Amino acid sequence: MSQYELSGVGKAFMRGSAVINAVHDVDLVVEAGEFVAIEGPSGSGKTTLLQLMGALDRPSNGRVVFGGRDLAGLGDSELAELRLRSFGFVFQQFNLIPTLTALENVEAKLAPTGLADAELRERSAALLAEVGLADRATHLPSHLSGGEQQRVAIARALSVEPRVILADEPTGNLDTRTGADIIETLAGLAGQRGTTVIVATHDAGLADRAPRRLAMRDGRLLAPVAA
Amino acid sequence: MVFYLRYLRAELLRRKGRTILTLLGLALGVGLVIAISSLSNGLDKAQKATLDPLAGIGTDLTVTRTAEQGGAGGGPFGGGGGSRDLVEANSSVITDLSKLGKPGTQFVHDFFLPGSQLTFAQSQAQGIASLDGVAAVSSGLMLQAVHQEGKVPKIVASIKTGGQQFDVRRTIAPPTEAEQAKIRACLEKNGGAQPQGQGQQPGLGGGQGQGGGGGRAAFAKCLPARMRQFRTTFTTPQQTLQQVLDPPQTNIKSESYTIGGVQTGDPTTGIVTAAQVTRGRYLKAGREALVSVTYASRHSLKVGSKLNLNGTRFTVVGLVNPPLGGQGADVYVPLAQLQALSGQKGLVNVVLVRADDSASVSATQKRIEQKYSQAEVASSKQVADTISGSLVDAANLSRDLGFVLSIVAAAAAFLLAALLALSSVGKRVRELGTLKALGWTQRKVVRQVAGESLAQGVLGGVLGVGVGLLAAVLIDAVGPTLSASSTTGGGSLFGVQEVARTTSRAVSLTAPVGFTILLVGFGLALLGGLLAGAAGALRAARLRPADALRTLE
Repeated sequence: MSQYELSGVGKAFMRGSAVINAVHDVDLVVEAGEFVAIEGPSGSGKTTLLQLMGALDRPSNGRVVFGGRDLAGLGDSELAELRLRSFGFVFQQFNLIPTLTALENVEAKLAPTGLADAELRERSAALLAEVGLADRATHLPSHLSGGEQQRVAIARALSVEPRVILADEPTGNLDTRTGADIIETLAGLAGQRGTTVIVATHDAGLADRAPRRLAMRDGRLLAPVAA
Repeated sequence: MVFYLRYLRAELLRRKGRTILTLLGLALGVGLVIAISSLSNGLDKAQKATLDPLAGIGTDLTVTRTAEQGGAGGGPFGGGGGSRDLVEANSSVITDLSKLGKPGTQFVHDFFLPGSQLTFAQSQAQGIASLDGVAAVSSGLMLQAVHQEGKVPKIVASIKTGGQQFDVRRTIAPPTEAEQAKIRACLEKNGGAQPQGQGQQPGLGGGQGQGGGGGRAAFAKCLPARMRQFRTTFTTPQQTLQQVLDPPQTNIKSESYTIGGVQTGDPTTGIVTAAQVTRGRYLKAGREALVSVTYASRHSLKVGSKLNLNGTRFTVVGLVNPPLGGQGADVYVPLAQLQALSGQKGLVNVVLVRADDSASVSATQKRIEQKYSQAEVASSKQVADTISGSLVDAANLSRDLGFVLSIVAAAAAFLLAALLALSSVGKRVRELGTLKALGWTQRKVVRQVAGESLAQGVLGGVLGVGVGLLAAVLIDAVGPTLSASSTTGGGSLFGVQEVARTTSRAVSLTAPVGFTILLVGFGLALLGGLLAGAAGALRAARLRPADALRTLE
């Protein structure tokens, strides 16, 4: 059984009286531990596809099956549980909580799992150390560089040892060198843990690092791009 | 500390501007509610003390006898001729300046007038005491006094007349033949002497000296009627005419004040009671006086000062805040003393009645009115209605607007808190969407948002209680003064101009803060926090994670 099985997945939005098909008839199978890059220009539907795969949204049609469970059949709290324990998100804008320190931002992902406070801190500190930010643990996001913020976001995404990391343009707000550094960190840590990584990007350089590259245009998944 | 509380603290501390604004809004609202309620409390207290004058003098009803125009007086509660008595009682006192000494000599005198409250026998108060529902009665004598000093005016001019003698002589025609014949016949018959003959001066002159006493009498008798009184002598009586001159133009200084005679037996019931004494002590007996605070201030009197009333020296033993509503006076002396001073022995003009209990006041009032048709019976409310002034205005304002103002202040605070909570959620859409993406359930997100608002409510409540207490302390420190006054008299009764009696009371306003008010204020802040939290949480709950995240793209 594959980790992901998407068949005929579509997502339509109403914009005024017009119907926008952000994702249209996508069929995709992803195996556990894969590193997949989805390439495409802005507005091609990459982010929407990632949100459908991360249980942040429900498809208008088709089925998203994860670990053998059709996400359409799950309630809001079950989807929240799935997002908590199985998925880790990394966003282009980092999406750190501005009032929490680097350490507390990692704790924010772990807290709903019910860990004791001391363990929460310990694990979060260890993860920050893994991404090289042990000395920045008490800093607020506004006092961290873009690269450091994205490292905090990666530590946060990996904190619950998810089955899948969904990264939406993770290097979009970083310079090339920092971006490469981030991808290195992400791929390395995910590889160590056997975590599936699905990255949406319009950066061909980043996509080059993925063993499997897919292309999207106008909401449709095109034929696999040769690696 | 668990993560969620640390997160909450971080939100409050690290979004200082929003937190301070919310706390200030809530604190101001709660502080206002506490301050207004406390002020209202203070007004209530002042009202109870001032606007319920009868309770202050330990009584429920006042009974007076008011003259009626054209009334015949008398009756079971009468002391005499109603309006006639009143006119006499007032006017006789006023017009008696000439008795104070020789014109031009210095005089100091206090005139006591009953004003519009007619006197009646003190013993009649016992009749009221025997009625059902009456627990106790106390009598009093309330008089208007006019203190005058200056030179005795020359009011009358004396003109002596009389004592002059007048001699009236007339020429009378001599007797006719027929008359002479009649005279002769008469004299013969009565044994009188004949006239001496013709040519003599006729009649009476010739008669004199002749015939002795019997002859003279007979002659006088026999004269014709027209000749008997031809000569008259009279003397005018001696008399002194007194003519009232124009009103006196001397340097007489005149000052009106009110004086009350107090039955001193029970210091808890009377026209003034021990409760009104602000300095010194209550009256015992003898030549002691209580003076109102305002009168004392006007005349620089203090406890121990001497007060001279028509040559009788009274010692001021206390200062009082007299009750408002008609029975207040500037000076109080024992009843017997005032009765003696004013020549009203055994008379009073007000009876204070204490009912058995508050429920029987109305029935007792009716009973007295039925038994004594000329009695004017006033209840506490009727007396209170005669009181005016800024205290009454403020009390009315507080009653009418206090509650509304509190509601407006609380509503404004709630609205501000709710708007800030909503605006905060609006600005945190991305943050809340991220939390949902991280796996936070809707319940946890709502709890976090509501928790923050509730915490702000608690802090706002604490701060608001502080603001309210501070406001109350400031009001106490500044102590704005309100006044209440009641005026009686001032009209004209049967041609007698009555002196207007105004009793005023200055009340320093306080704002007593009760524990309940603080609790209510704190509760309101908490409620405000909850409402704001609910508003914010509702919006947060509606957020779909994908939409929340999409907004950041």
